[in-house]
Amino acid sequence: MEQIVDFKKIKEIPGLLRIETNPKDEIQGVLLDYTHSVYKHEEIYGKYCTIQDYVDCPPEKAYEYLKNTYSLEEWTFSVRDFKKTNTEGLYVGKDKIGDRTKIYCKTIANPEAMTVDYHCAWDQGQKLWMIYLMRIIPAEPVLNRPGCVVLWTNCHHPFYDKNPEPGLAPPGRPWIGEFWDMFYAGHWIELQNLKRILEYRHKNKLPIGPNLLTKEDQNEDC
Amino acid sequence: MKIVSLSGSSSYLPEQIIKNDFFGTSQKEVNKMFKGVEQRRHVTPDQTAASMIERAAKPLLAEMNLDPLTDIDILLTNVSVPDEPFLGCGAKVAHQIGSKPKWVIDIHNSGCISSVYMMDIARSLMIAQNLKTALICNVQNAAGQIFSQPQTRKKPQSAVPGDGCGILYLTTSEESPILALVHRCYGEYASDMFSSNDENRKYFDTRTSEVSLEFTEAKIASIISRGNRIVPEIIQEVCKTAEMRTSAIDGLFTNQPNPFFLRNWREAVEVPAEKHFDTFSQYGNLFGAAIPINFDEAVRGNKIKNGSKLVFAGFSHAGDYSAAALIHWKKEL
Repeated sequence: MEQIVDFKKIKEIPGLLRIETNPKDEIQGVLLDYTHSVYKHEEIYGKYCTIQDYVDCPPEKAYEYLKNTYSLEEWTFSVRDFKKTNTEGLYVGKDKIGDRTKIYCKTIANPEAMTVDYHCAWDQGQKLWMIYLMRIIPAEPVLNRPGCVVLWTNCHHPFYDKNPEPGLAPPGRPWIGEFWDMFYAGHWIELQNLKRILEYRHKNKLPIGPNLLTKEDQNEDC
Repeated sequence: MKIVSLSGSSSYLPEQIIKNDFFGTSQKEVNKMFKGVEQRRHVTPDQTAASMIERAAKPLLAEMNLDPLTDIDILLTNVSVPDEPFLGCGAKVAHQIGSKPKWVIDIHNSGCISSVYMMDIARSLMIAQNLKTALICNVQNAAGQIFSQPQTRKKPQSAVPGDGCGILYLTTSEESPILALVHRCYGEYASDMFSSNDENRKYFDTRTSEVSLEFTEAKIASIISRGNRIVPEIIQEVCKTAEMRTSAIDGLFTNQPNPFFLRNWREAVEVPAEKHFDTFSQYGNLFGAAIPINFDEAVRGNKIKNGSKLVFAGFSHAGDYSAAALIHWKKEL
């Protein structure tokens, strides 16, 4: 049966801008007001830090690579040395940007949506509040070209402003939240690392990675 | 209300030119943040702040045909490294240039934006007390004294500062009116810059280590981001009082801590690079003297057209002060 939307119910909600109540001419002024030639860093990256880029690598391969927690050791700037913990799916590694800082990480991936979310925290693994939300979009339908688009968002959790567990921090180490204003720049560097790795391996027909060694193979060069 | 104008400027750059090879770290290895200075001037050990001001002031007095006894009602100074504790240099300056100002004020705050802060003080006094003239003097002398010490000069940031003295002369007239002045104090940022030494002693204590200037390391990111924010904000504010868009600025003069701030500030207020006058590559970070020196060089280089709307703006230290002035420059080239 055909369905139609009952607009009566939408009228109850104040503050909506819809063509029935706000004519096109009026909305033009609103749009102009919102459209600046430059935006403050704080406005764009203050509450949320979202970045994105095109990657010349099939979306399935990018997804396969991202969903492997060990890949973070290749494409992030400073997360290294992951080991499994006793908790299913939870890894502990080092974030070398914070000297001897431990970073806990659990990767939750959804193959249909091609989302890969890294649930992380410094110093402790009980409450994973530093959440890196990634989504891989096939580039064919959205950009009419092969490859994929990677979206990446972080939300400004209140713990960035105040370490909930200062007692667990190594002495003298700055808190991760001190760097929030540099998240755009830092994440951009890492997204470019990711792009280079995926494009290089795809172009050269190499296994997509991450390149893992078993314990016995490990040598000092890594 | 009385109108106060910016009527003249002058500058003095120490003769001693220091090339990049003076510093410990080769420029190739230096962090991007500390690059971009090709040469800078350093004061010599015998140069005092008062002598630098004298060198800048005397030619201005002669050029404008001013009588130091009657044509300087207010003398204001800001010196980054005072020659003596307790004493400001203003009284010495007055004596050395043969002046008897009604007011001598040595301010020790608002560092890199002190020229604009002092313009605000001078204008307020001129209006309130019916005074006619003010000489505003900025001395930056940290480069050849603090940043040239044998150990300190090996730090990558030590190649950035340069020394110099800049002077602005204000009159109650309609020559080139100051249309608006604004300033802000952010006390919450005041503790993020400090002097330090390896022994953790007070700056005047007996010790073997050198004194250096530091920022709170964990706050570098937020200091950069507040610098990116508060300077465009104060430029917007000063332009708003004159109902002018920032893109209509004909000449922008700011302090010059590094090329990134210079780029970000002009981008944020939509002023093209050719209208943003800096001397970073030849003089380095001139701290509080940057604005008057850059203005003076632009005037003497015939770069400012009659009728230009000029903005002086910037921030100090780790963000404890910001200020901006809007001036309607009305002098023939």
